[in-house]
Amino acid sequence: MMKPRGNTRQNHISLARQIIETVLEHGYAEGDHLPESTLSKACGVSRTPIRSALKILEKSDIVRRRDEGGFFLFAAPDRIAQDGLSDIEDMVGSLASRILSDRAERRITDVQSVSALARRYNAPRSAVLNALKILTSDGIVVQMPGRTWAFQPILDTPNAIEESLAFRLTIEPQAILAPGFQMDSRKSGLLRQQMNAFLDRPDGRLSASGFLHLDCAFHSFIAESSGNRFARGALLAHHRLRLSTQKDQSIPDFRLRQSLEEHLGIIDSLERMQLQLAADQMVVHLRRSQIRKPRTVNRGILPLARGAPA
Amino acid sequence: MTRPVIALFPEASFGSALNCVGIAQQLQRQGAVPVFLCHPGFSGVFAEYGFKEYQLPANAAAAQQSEETWQAFITAHLEHFNLSPTAQLTTYVAPTWEAIVDTAIQVEAGLDILLRRIRPDAIVLDNVIMFPAIANAGVPWIRVVSCAETEIPDAHVPPYLSGMAADDPARPAFEAAYLKATAPAHHRYNAFRARCGLPPLPAGQFLEPSPHLNLLLAPDAIRHDRKTPLQPDLFVFLDGCVREEAQFDPPPLPVNEGPIIYLSFGSLGAIDIALIRRMIDVFATLPARFFVNVGGFLERYEQVPDNVYLGSWFPQPSIVAQADLFIHHGGNNSYCEALYFGVPSLIMPYCWDGHDNGTRAEQTGTGVHLQRNGWRDHELRGMVLSLLGDTRMLERMVAISDAMQKKNGAADAARTILAKIGCHELI
Repeated sequence: MMKPRGNTRQNHISLARQIIETVLEHGYAEGDHLPESTLSKACGVSRTPIRSALKILEKSDIVRRRDEGGFFLFAAPDRIAQDGLSDIEDMVGSLASRILSDRAERRITDVQSVSALARRYNAPRSAVLNALKILTSDGIVVQMPGRTWAFQPILDTPNAIEESLAFRLTIEPQAILAPGFQMDSRKSGLLRQQMNAFLDRPDGRLSASGFLHLDCAFHSFIAESSGNRFARGALLAHHRLRLSTQKDQSIPDFRLRQSLEEHLGIIDSLERMQLQLAADQMVVHLRRSQIRKPRTVNRGILPLARGAPA
Repeated sequence: MTRPVIALFPEASFGSALNCVGIAQQLQRQGAVPVFLCHPGFSGVFAEYGFKEYQLPANAAAAQQSEETWQAFITAHLEHFNLSPTAQLTTYVAPTWEAIVDTAIQVEAGLDILLRRIRPDAIVLDNVIMFPAIANAGVPWIRVVSCAETEIPDAHVPPYLSGMAADDPARPAFEAAYLKATAPAHHRYNAFRARCGLPPLPAGQFLEPSPHLNLLLAPDAIRHDRKTPLQPDLFVFLDGCVREEAQFDPPPLPVNEGPIIYLSFGSLGAIDIALIRRMIDVFATLPARFFVNVGGFLERYEQVPDNVYLGSWFPQPSIVAQADLFIHHGGNNSYCEALYFGVPSLIMPYCWDGHDNGTRAEQTGTGVHLQRNGWRDHELRGMVLSLLGDTRMLERMVAISDAMQKKNGAADAARTILAKIGCHELI
């Protein structure tokens, strides 16, 4: 029998919290293997929900799946002790995230009322209102006249991703070229390390969600470094939206690697203060990312490419 | 020695294109330089896998290809997909052959120029029609039959696109109807071949076997016993030809329990939004997680159930490997991937060799065949539950998968191609 809708995810989030507590109690160190059997025994549940909870922790960069099999602790225990539990709550467990995720997966329509959301999530109206305020502050929903709330465009479809890339192609090179571009070298070093670690993974082990995290971190870093406050603000908000709502499983490993190499090339140029070159590299990088598979194909009729004229 | 350049020319369909990606990955691994000839619209697909592409020049007709053209295609053919294979001969198959012949004629000049520029050591053609520039290129060409085995006729093999058993009493009538329906396109095509210096082909055939090498994507488990066996040095059967693809991590769903069921009717099947919506309504009542490929039409769906996840594209080998059941249209690539990963198929064909694979899945105990529009909610529900619980079929699938994975068809294809062009030292 299926469980009542909506409860399973909450259970996995609770389990993710339990796993963090277990990790801290057992004194695991960064890089340690986290055997599913041990966690399963410690939390008193089977391995299947443990795996789902570990995937939630992976999204928060607390654990990572490695090619040798299984999950490993990716963050330092003191960082987890400090931020881990609230991260889970804030990053994936909050009602705001659940609402956003459900919209991105087209489970709920783009216009919602507080009472409808309260019913769906079995949550008090005050919690729903709070979640909607969080989403409003990121520009994801707006309150309409009356009692409805409307979702703004998100990156939930190939067409939306295409429009996002066109927008970024206009702004991101300019964010680099605007006077006052200044880069935090400590952050660029960290990003470089993370990208190299990802590139070290073998083919077939490059997860789309892991790539999206790295990709958003890199492009947000470029935005943060921009000397133009409006480019900075618009791009940071856009990359937050990408991180929360973009789903794109269609990128082959070769392109994921090529994309990260392009990031590293841009960082190289920025470190040498070759800003024009970095901006040009950004144009090439985004143009390559614009290539998408044709929408529809059939024998005898040429494929309809994405973005084909109407 | 210089690394041989192998030009791969798949037809403009995802099945052929991605099948060729699998072969190209292995050719590259074995020391060759695979490059792709591609139709406009497919540019970038092969580059994302790291291969050099040469695009066929877009002609005036292609330049006008638009959403409107496709909408007209969908409007014209959607209802035809509910017809029987025999009824489809005049409504879908004949006009499609006419269009395929048009394409062959349109790209001939551009293809000839490209081949002279690339000067490949061999050409791999994964298509259903011969392009004279390939036969005239002066290098060995390899035919890949990535459709069902029925594409190569034999008295003990069911007629191509019929969905029949080989001994079906209606066979002669279907064969006659096929020849009649395709005659105008065939006549036009033979005239084109004559202009290009190629001999005519027998009625109903648009592509001759290669005199060098033919690769058939027909795993042992579903192969037919032929009356006239194919010459083993010219016809090589492949046990699966699966490409290396990105990893897919199924995202946790609000209701995240139960087996994984993957549905994909290919990019063409995705146009039938009404059918997929109806299926999703049934999925909402089942204790399983459903991952549904809706192609380019994601924006046409709302109120997705909590145990269903929609995507416009999935790295198919990765998700099929994790699935407990694969619902598809009988495309040969999809069917072979299901076999390769040991996953039972629920085949709901709408055209072409999907009918043949639907029947073959039933005959070989590797899946079931369901009429595309001929089901009620409780029947689909019952069929899914029954397939999930069919331990006998599952055991058979595991054995098939083990055998196929041991053989690695894509690597075999690459080895055979290289051996055929005399590059033994690379293997």
